[in-house]
Amino acid sequence: MRESSTVPEDVKQRLNWLLIFMVICFLILVISLWYLQMIKGEEFKERAVGNCIRTLVEDAPRGRIYDRQEELLVTNRPAVVVSIIPAEVDDLEKLSERLSKIIGISPEEISQIVKNYRENPFKPVKILDDCNTNKTVEIEERKDELKGVVLEVKPRRDYLYHDFAAHSLGYVGEIDKEELQRFGNPKYQGGDIIGKAGLEKYYDAILRGEKGGKEVEVDALGQEIATLLYQKPVPGKDLILTIDRDLQLCGENLLFDKKGSIVVSDPNSGEILALVNRPSFNPNLFANGISSSDWQRLSFDTDYPLTNRSVQGLYSPGSIFKVVTAAAALEEGVTNRKRKIYCSGTFELAGRVFNCSKETGHGSLSIVDAITHSCNIYFYTLGKDLGIERFNKYMQKYGLGEKTGIDLPAEAIGTIPSAQWKEREIKEIWFPGDTINLSIGQGYLLLTPLLVHSLITTIAAEGEVYKLHLVKKIISADGNTVEEIKPEIHKKVNFSSDTFKIIKEGLRQTILKGTGWRANIQELAVAGKTGTAQNPQGETHAWFIGFAPYENPEVCITVFIENGGEGGVAAAPIARAMLEKYFNIKN
Amino acid sequence: MKEKLDRLTENIDFALLFAVVFLCFYGLLVLFSSTRLAATGESDPYFFVKRQSLWALLGFIFLTIIIFIDYHNLERYSKVIYFGAIVLLIMVIISGRSTYGARRWLAIGPFDFQPSEFAKIALIMFLADFLSKNKLKFDNFLYYLLPFIYTGILIILVFMQPDLGTSLVYLAILIIMLFVAGIKIKYLVFTILAGLSSVPVLWIFLRDYQKNRFILFLNPNLDPLGGGYNVIQSRIAIGSGGFLGNGIFSGLQSQLNFLPAQHTDFIFSVVGEELGFVGTILLLGLYAIILWRGIKIALEARDLLGSLLATGVVSFLFFHIVVNIGMAMGMLPATGLPLPFLSYGGSFMISNLIVIGILLNVELHKVKW
Repeated sequence: MRESSTVPEDVKQRLNWLLIFMVICFLILVISLWYLQMIKGEEFKERAVGNCIRTLVEDAPRGRIYDRQEELLVTNRPAVVVSIIPAEVDDLEKLSERLSKIIGISPEEISQIVKNYRENPFKPVKILDDCNTNKTVEIEERKDELKGVVLEVKPRRDYLYHDFAAHSLGYVGEIDKEELQRFGNPKYQGGDIIGKAGLEKYYDAILRGEKGGKEVEVDALGQEIATLLYQKPVPGKDLILTIDRDLQLCGENLLFDKKGSIVVSDPNSGEILALVNRPSFNPNLFANGISSSDWQRLSFDTDYPLTNRSVQGLYSPGSIFKVVTAAAALEEGVTNRKRKIYCSGTFELAGRVFNCSKETGHGSLSIVDAITHSCNIYFYTLGKDLGIERFNKYMQKYGLGEKTGIDLPAEAIGTIPSAQWKEREIKEIWFPGDTINLSIGQGYLLLTPLLVHSLITTIAAEGEVYKLHLVKKIISADGNTVEEIKPEIHKKVNFSSDTFKIIKEGLRQTILKGTGWRANIQELAVAGKTGTAQNPQGETHAWFIGFAPYENPEVCITVFIENGGEGGVAAAPIARAMLEKYFNIKN
Repeated sequence: MKEKLDRLTENIDFALLFAVVFLCFYGLLVLFSSTRLAATGESDPYFFVKRQSLWALLGFIFLTIIIFIDYHNLERYSKVIYFGAIVLLIMVIISGRSTYGARRWLAIGPFDFQPSEFAKIALIMFLADFLSKNKLKFDNFLYYLLPFIYTGILIILVFMQPDLGTSLVYLAILIIMLFVAGIKIKYLVFTILAGLSSVPVLWIFLRDYQKNRFILFLNPNLDPLGGGYNVIQSRIAIGSGGFLGNGIFSGLQSQLNFLPAQHTDFIFSVVGEELGFVGTILLLGLYAIILWRGIKIALEARDLLGSLLATGVVSFLFFHIVVNIGMAMGMLPATGLPLPFLSYGGSFMISNLIVIGILLNVELHKVKW
């Protein structure tokens, strides 16, 4: 049954007022819509169709890269891109034919590129990248008959010294689908140029800057009449590297026809002065979007020019690893300055015979002598006495089981064998003979040249290891703000100062009268160690690690020559040449 | 139960229900058009539509449940719901998930839930209860002040997220409900004047981006590629629709991603561009039906409580509609309020359908069962 409503009369009256108010608001909306859509509709339609309004993205110039003396290494140059705006083309076939005559791409190919692109008909489709001046002028002259063709000037990465330090500098390229998804933020969009390798990749966020854009009014031919809106792009920041251009160039020349790496750094700051990797490649090839033939050539080359050997290559270190064996034995009291071991040329363990480098034997040796002459027998004995457990502990203490933390992407970590490692990876137990091999840096042990370099910096700085790095300063494009990268202690290796002294003495003697004599320089006290590493790929790898001056080390060097032969013969002279260059010694 | 169902079919407001269902489908169509090419990394073109449909379905389930509970019984819990809303809003400030610099969401399982939406319902129910019980005491200044305090607590909590748009919705609900409850006009005018004079003080508390929105509203060309971009592009989109529109799926601005937030706050622009004047007027017509039936339900309600509940619902929807459309046309500042039944968003969709449930409830219970 219906009861009468108890809603008060004044409330009903107010409700009617509310209704009237709402009707008025709706009428205003309807009138506004009428005005916007019916009266101004045509005008807005034109604007929307883009016949007169076009949004152009302006890329931010990418930050430049300089060496430590602020010599320019990488910059941007303007490149002309020829594109077609599909929506403005009346007759694609005719246009393709006309354009083909100028730029030399077949008409079929041009119309195919345009037809294959189906996203936004007002977005220019790239036909030819980095168009040369003659063609650009011709297109400009004939623009009346080339309706729909636009010329855009885009900043293009320019690596001034071509294959110089290419692995460290890296290269740029168009962002791919996977990267787009991974970064997934509005700063990155399809078609963007991003760092793909090396410093370009590691410091991409700093180098890239922020895009700007403008909305321009264009006429029927696509000529800009007026700029309606403009947002300036924010240029990327510049990098000042720790690399010294001249020293790097010297290293590149020394390794010109070889495979290998050179690392030179300052042990007192971790700054890398040279990081040479050969063979190399020309990153300019990537800046224009690498052609498939170039890509095939680079990626199938069995010398692996794209591999950053110093950061990603894993190699047997050979005798230079004796500095680790020596430190472990000294710290654990397995040997001391006085202990002498007799080298007869051979060493027997469980029925297996291990040889020394000198067949007739070195006779009775102290640890300093053993380092000097790289006597295997001495280190076999130390390895046997240490055992793998204790040995492994010192490899970890040296930091060989972790990355050096260099500011480059995709740094590899070494293979640091232990009994557990062997059981897990090879499914075999650890034999005493494995320790014997390990004590002279052979067997399962694999290190990157950079990790090997960290050995020599640890010794030179007596345990206070700075983080290796390539960037010294980050500077805004206008030069107003400078961010200095402060040297940073990577780790402290707490060996007794006696241990460091004995090893250093051995390294000095190695240069004066041992296997490293080819690195000796009259005017400079060099200390170092050679290594000749056997490996399954063929000819031995040649190694040299060293520092100078002996008393107050200013610079550490690692030379690695893949399949280069003997360390003392192939690597030591290169180290000598690099040190002469650094200390400005004429020979 | 059978008797209840009979009453339902006899008394339910079919015009209202029809308008709501039609709007939901209309919204899904437009949403599909604006998101099927969305550059969000979602490869499924139905991603947004599927989720929105799920929420609409959930909303209709809530709506159905609510219809059957006499609003007098619902109102017994209005205080609990109100305090629950406060607790949830505090939780958002403490531990909410943030996007674009604002914390608005609470995660519940795989879903994000926006308590400020449900607080709108809590506010409507709480104010309806309070105002209907105390109608005769409003001449007492203290009683007049109380609803401002109750609403103010919610406004401050939402403002801290910060969400300026939603706090304005609470204010609009309060003022319209007070007006309908019969507050003396001079009281209201006096209050509004006092409020306006305190705007310069409030300005200090606005976040930079909120200040920017007001400045850009006054002149969108100041920062055309930044904050003013939305409004300019939105006006172009709506205007270019003309009489019949460019046709669904073929709006240039919408399909080419010129329009930011085109599936949420700016979905009206997609309607305008793709379906033209015909489409926008149809949309306004559907809203008009809902609001007109809402007022009718308020007029015919059994008592003041029902009448005020319906008023609250009407004011909530009305404010969202007018502010959103006004914003899309550049007539009002961009406050980020979604468009009922159309904008993409789960909490909002569900709360829209819940308030429709309340409206139908008042309608059904205008006679005693």
